[in-house]
Amino acid sequence: MAADLFDLAAEKLEGKTDMDRLAARGTLRIALKEAGLDTRKLTIPQLRAVFEKLMPKELEARGVSDAAATCQAAMNEITSSADSVGIASSTSADDVFKRLGES
Amino acid sequence: MEENAYIASIAAGIFFLVAGVRLLRLHRRTGERPELLLGLYFAFSGLYYLGYNIPNLFQIDTWPYQLDLLVEWTFVLGVFPYLFFIRSVFRPDDAWGGWIVGACSVFLLAGTVLTTDGGSVDYSFGNPWFIVQWLGYTAPSFWLGWEALLYRQNATKRARIGLCPPIVANRYLLIALFGGFQVLACLGDLSFANDINGDQAISLFTDAILGGTEIASVAVLWLAFFPPLFYTNWITRRAVILPTPMDG
Repeated sequence: MAADLFDLAAEKLEGKTDMDRLAARGTLRIALKEAGLDTRKLTIPQLRAVFEKLMPKELEARGVSDAAATCQAAMNEITSSADSVGIASSTSADDVFKRLGES
Repeated sequence: MEENAYIASIAAGIFFLVAGVRLLRLHRRTGERPELLLGLYFAFSGLYYLGYNIPNLFQIDTWPYQLDLLVEWTFVLGVFPYLFFIRSVFRPDDAWGGWIVGACSVFLLAGTVLTTDGGSVDYSFGNPWFIVQWLGYTAPSFWLGWEALLYRQNATKRARIGLCPPIVANRYLLIALFGGFQVLACLGDLSFANDINGDQAISLFTDAILGGTEIASVAVLWLAFFPPLFYTNWITRRAVILPTPMDG
């Protein structure tokens, strides 16, 4: 069973493509790095943005057909299974820096 | 210190005080700790800058040692919340962040107590504790600049996919610049310590650098804490946000 959101997302990606576990985790890591995200502090909205905007390109580069639909299906499964894993708190440096400019 | 440098220093002090009060008011509204810590840092810094420049401003020749001490400790007390801010925002889960906070705190306390011991405040290379204190207050600004720069790199990536407002990504850069300018100002202290018994030729040059870093610090903090609408719009317009494949 997946321990956190990263594990869960990699698991679903592996299930929706022909990639093995290592390739799925590696692809997810590359996409998250490109998105400037920390694998330990992922949230569902962050993962959704990655699966919508970056992952289709990564999957296409690895020969996955209909990458956008695959990503959408994987994301749907991640969202419905997310209750079973630990999700990081949404409090982040971004929240702090956003508030600092508020009047 | 040269006259123009006083003016820059006093202007910076007033601005830091205003920024500090604004952050403390923000804390009253949100109840969040980071704005409290940063607000205390800027409020103490503002008081220090103003206190430090009072003798120059009013051309007071003799300044009681106790007031020197008070001004010195006002500055030092402000560095602690600054350190806790950096730790809690950038490295809340990393044990080494706690070690940096601990080391800087020890350097600051030991350096300040032993620099101000003996009836006068001794800022010179003849007093090794001055260097210890200097490390204690310079390292936090270096740390802030470095962390904010690292965070800026990832925030820019997040902004491309709509996960971080471009103005927030830009704010990391502004705070990194502030950290850098403060380190430059701290390097100026070394020059003063070197020249304290000399002809002060380098100090005059350092004065100009110091005045420049203070004006630059105020400028970047103004854009970070009081961003004018035109600046926010400019940063937002310049940002590149990727469309989703479905959008195309």
